[in-house]
Amino acid sequence: MSTNVIRCSRGEQTFSVINIVLLALLMLITAYPLLYVVFASLSDPSSIVAYRGALLKPLGLTMDAYTRVLQNPMIAIGYRNTVFYVVAGTALNITLTCLGAYALSRQNVMFKRPIMLLIIFTLFFNGGLIPTYLLVGQTLHMADTVWALIVPTAINTINLIILKTAFESVPVSLEEAARIDGANDFTILFRVVLPLSLPALSVVVLFYAVAHWNAYFQALIYIQSRDLYPLQLVLREILITSNVESMTTSVSSGDRFEIGQTIKYATIVVATLPILLIYPFLQRYFVKGALLGAIKE
Amino acid sequence: MPNDVTRRAFLRLAGVGSVALALTACQTVTPSSSPTRAPASGAATAPEALTLPIVSQPLTLSYWAPMSTNVAASMKSYGEIACYVELEKRTGVHLDFQHPPLQQEQDQFNLLVASGKYPDVIEFDWLHSYAGGPSKAIKDGVIVRLNDLIDKYAPNYKKVLSDHPEWRKQAVTDEGDIYVFPFLRSDPVLLTFIGPVIRQDWLEKVSLKVPTTLDDWHTMLKAFKDENVNGLGSTIPFSPWFSSIPGGWNAWYGAGAFLEHAFIGAWGITMGFYQVNGTVMYGALQPEFQDFTNLIRTWFSEGLVDPDFPSTDQASFDAKVTSGRLGSMVALDGNGIGKYMGLVKDPTFKLVGAPYPMMKAGDKPLLGQRDFNYPGGGSAAISSQNKHVTESIKELDYAYSDDGHILFNFGIQGDSYTLESGKPTYTAKLMKDPQLPPAQAMSRYIRGNFNGPFVQDAGYIMQYYQLQVQKDALQTWLAPSDERQMPPVTPTQDESRRFASIMNDVNSKFQEVFTKVVNGSEPMDTMAGLPGQLKQIGIDDAIKIQQAALDRYNKRQ
Amino acid sequence: MSSSARTIPFRRAPAASLARGSLRARIVADLRRNRYIYLMHAPVIAYYVIFHYGPMYGAIIAFKDYSPAQGILGSPWIGLQNFQDFFGSVYIVRLIRNTLAINVLDILFGFPAPIILALLLNELTTPHFKRWVQTITYLPHFMSLVVVVGIMIDFLARDGLINNLLRIGGIQSTAFMQNASWYWILYVGSSIWQSVGWGSIIFLAAIANVDPSLYEAAVVDGANRWRQMWHVTLPGIMPMIITLLILRIGMMMSVGYEKTILMYNPSTYDTADVISSYVYRKGVLGMDYGFSAAVGLFNSVINFAFLFAANRLSRRANQMTLW
Repeated sequence: MSTNVIRCSRGEQTFSVINIVLLALLMLITAYPLLYVVFASLSDPSSIVAYRGALLKPLGLTMDAYTRVLQNPMIAIGYRNTVFYVVAGTALNITLTCLGAYALSRQNVMFKRPIMLLIIFTLFFNGGLIPTYLLVGQTLHMADTVWALIVPTAINTINLIILKTAFESVPVSLEEAARIDGANDFTILFRVVLPLSLPALSVVVLFYAVAHWNAYFQALIYIQSRDLYPLQLVLREILITSNVESMTTSVSSGDRFEIGQTIKYATIVVATLPILLIYPFLQRYFVKGALLGAIKE
Repeated sequence: MPNDVTRRAFLRLAGVGSVALALTACQTVTPSSSPTRAPASGAATAPEALTLPIVSQPLTLSYWAPMSTNVAASMKSYGEIACYVELEKRTGVHLDFQHPPLQQEQDQFNLLVASGKYPDVIEFDWLHSYAGGPSKAIKDGVIVRLNDLIDKYAPNYKKVLSDHPEWRKQAVTDEGDIYVFPFLRSDPVLLTFIGPVIRQDWLEKVSLKVPTTLDDWHTMLKAFKDENVNGLGSTIPFSPWFSSIPGGWNAWYGAGAFLEHAFIGAWGITMGFYQVNGTVMYGALQPEFQDFTNLIRTWFSEGLVDPDFPSTDQASFDAKVTSGRLGSMVALDGNGIGKYMGLVKDPTFKLVGAPYPMMKAGDKPLLGQRDFNYPGGGSAAISSQNKHVTESIKELDYAYSDDGHILFNFGIQGDSYTLESGKPTYTAKLMKDPQLPPAQAMSRYIRGNFNGPFVQDAGYIMQYYQLQVQKDALQTWLAPSDERQMPPVTPTQDESRRFASIMNDVNSKFQEVFTKVVNGSEPMDTMAGLPGQLKQIGIDDAIKIQQAALDRYNKRQ
Repeated sequence: MSSSARTIPFRRAPAASLARGSLRARIVADLRRNRYIYLMHAPVIAYYVIFHYGPMYGAIIAFKDYSPAQGILGSPWIGLQNFQDFFGSVYIVRLIRNTLAINVLDILFGFPAPIILALLLNELTTPHFKRWVQTITYLPHFMSLVVVVGIMIDFLARDGLINNLLRIGGIQSTAFMQNASWYWILYVGSSIWQSVGWGSIIFLAAIANVDPSLYEAAVVDGANRWRQMWHVTLPGIMPMIITLLILRIGMMMSVGYEKTILMYNPSTYDTADVISSYVYRKGVLGMDYGFSAAVGLFNSVINFAFLFAANRLSRRANQMTLW
């Protein structure tokens, strides 16, 4: 909403209508694959295997795939662990990223450029899997602990830069006014900059949280104990063991095997559903300027 | 060529040991030892006979192994498998299994090696998956050379090797070093599991017999198309698509069927490397290859070949089969015939395994699909940090003894198998588990249906194939002599690097030209120019590398 | 015209005012003035040093004949051999061309798309509809590539949905997935489709950050919605746009192999084969960490050069720079 005053010009009305139509169309084509996945997950496997074309409803409604997935005892463990990784991980992420972004967004800091270059350099050049593995696993003894999933990925440079850009757009005048009032950098960060950057902050929180939610590679490399498996790893395992593509089977087991086809879809739904529910909560931070007025000098 | 074997090794490694079949009348004797085994006697270097238990004090050995997906379906560790529980009772050695996450085996193996901390036993595909090959693994000090140790402590394994010099040749390095306790497949029925498959009911509808020659195939495919045999008007008489491991040369699904030597084998050549009496040759350079390409191209232009074959994936291929549009293909006996027969409820849907086509009736086909006895995977090596080498050797040797052979292939008498007319027969616990398919149920008791450091028994596969059509298909596919296949050679690390460089470009060029010429976007002339282009890329060097490796292989003791 | 007291932020070149006094005195003054800032920097820098610079010696694998058992430091040197192998390929030109082409197309079409979407969403007056559109459009981001490409292959088959529709319309069917000319469109198009919703989130946040008083001022000046968008919203989110654009240009040589492997086949190698998929195939033929490290290093150097150039351009043009 760019203005509270409603404009009634013809041009703008047509635009509104076209806008709505366009977006509705976009909704349809982006919604379709998810619908496909949901329908397929509720379908009878042999019908799905033989089916071609657009799927508009479940074929032979059955909850088999979901029972298979959700009955797995590791699912509860996976969810529990992932929630922990998301919360703890994002907390660490945000703390460090805020500190770093703030520090990089201030002017008149002599070593800012070298530090920034140092950080950006790591976007392009890295040592690869094996040295990192040796570092985390052997030097730091983090292998098979929760730390391996949280600390090595403590800061995402892109997110850092995004937040820095957002912090830079806080008016300098506000910072100067706060300094006159005797505030130090920490105070400015918490009282001035952060509240004014809530939309960007929420986005960065969202990015980190989703990254943790979807993460599996770190766990794949570092985690041996099944007790620490995140959800994605559990789902991956369920998928691999029920998808007997690489296995040879005999006839009598026909239906046990087929179900692998629909389990693939059920795991996607199980993994994605919680995310769908989170976004509405974050959306309220995107309401523009709600808090800005309160902080006007 | 190594890649073919890698691919097949993988298929085996991940799941059931193999998908062969035997006629029910076929009574293959377990090949690992004759019924009465006397301790090696008379020879000056007689190893001590293996007596149980191996240790008087409890001993734990750490054992790293990829986990088969069969087992992972219902268990957390190999230690839970019934044969290992029993093994510990017999030998007194406890195996502490460490398993990498599924489908992460190669990365995890590399990390394991890089970490410098090795468990006592490392089971892996040492033939293909160690950079530089097994000789380098020994030279690098990761695993130990086993020859002397086997002479002293492993009578059963030693006997297996001396009874089967052709197996020994496959499982040693060029220098003659024994480096693993290998997974060995004893019988030809365990080595063949892929071949041409046709819709039987379609054949009946067009009143044709199962084709044996290329001309027969042509007639049949035309009949499928012209007579609109499935009533849908959208018949696909044949698709060369065949599933394989993702990525790389072997992921050329589009022509996977030809990679199994179907059709092209009729000319005695392959899509890659093969050897004729010790001389390495490359298929695409041969004049016969032009003839083969022309044939497929002609079939394609007549609408007999699936026009989408380059861009199909497993899901759409399965759809083509199960929705009744595809008439013939090349498929696995288990995960092809077995899978589709299980998926399709329609009782008229019938499949039949067809012979690898030949040029003329009465010819003996030269090439079909046949794996080697030693596929590479599931083979156990002793690491250089093993402090109980003698006990480890004895522990691994047990699997090659008579009792061990039965234990790993069939399990425990009365529990997982019973003796019917003297033959071990799996019980209903394995074959008719209400929750699990046989492949997974079996893996709760034995390793005989996937792989491991022992000799696989043909008796397993005879029972595993429950459908008559599967058993028949296997017998059909056993016909080719396959003496032209490249054995499991081991290039050196330098050779490997150079070879991979050249072949990456060769494969890309080859796949591109072949696909475009077959589907008509390029004329046959382009194919005629291919050998020249490949030579420019360096195929001759690649052939030299293979030749050197083959020469060394042939000299192996 | 907006006439607000709020400055559009941009990075100024370091003030000349710091030039007073000796270097040492200036450093001390800086440390004193900005001590909390450096305190904040400390854990961040520590993180990067430990986890990014610590393992960085591994990059020398590019010059080695790496064997895991011998380790990174113990493996023998082979100098530029890996690079020679890579550049010696008959396909080198094609690989680089395809990689660049896909990225250029993706930047041209894929970069503005989420921005446009964010702007359009911003113009919606019904919050309910807006929320739905947002939630639905970002879903494809979560679909696994295997599923997405699987659907594509199915729809685009010669007898698939798209061709069936075309036939109804009287158009001949095309084998899209086997046609090298279609590949770039399909690749970039599906990427845009999958990322436009999720990508718009950051721009929505940036739009939300624009001072509402600017809009009020614009309205007072008689601006309609278009002018508001053009003169208030866009400039307001320009720093974010520029920053992300520079970063995006810094990925010019990177095209992921996963999607390529799923989408390509020999009939489209001509336009589909990119550096990463080529390296992947070689990796399957024979594990050669050194080779992939070398190619990765080459990619990184070029990427960095692009980033540098983009940043310099941005600094000249609108005084906005990453560092």
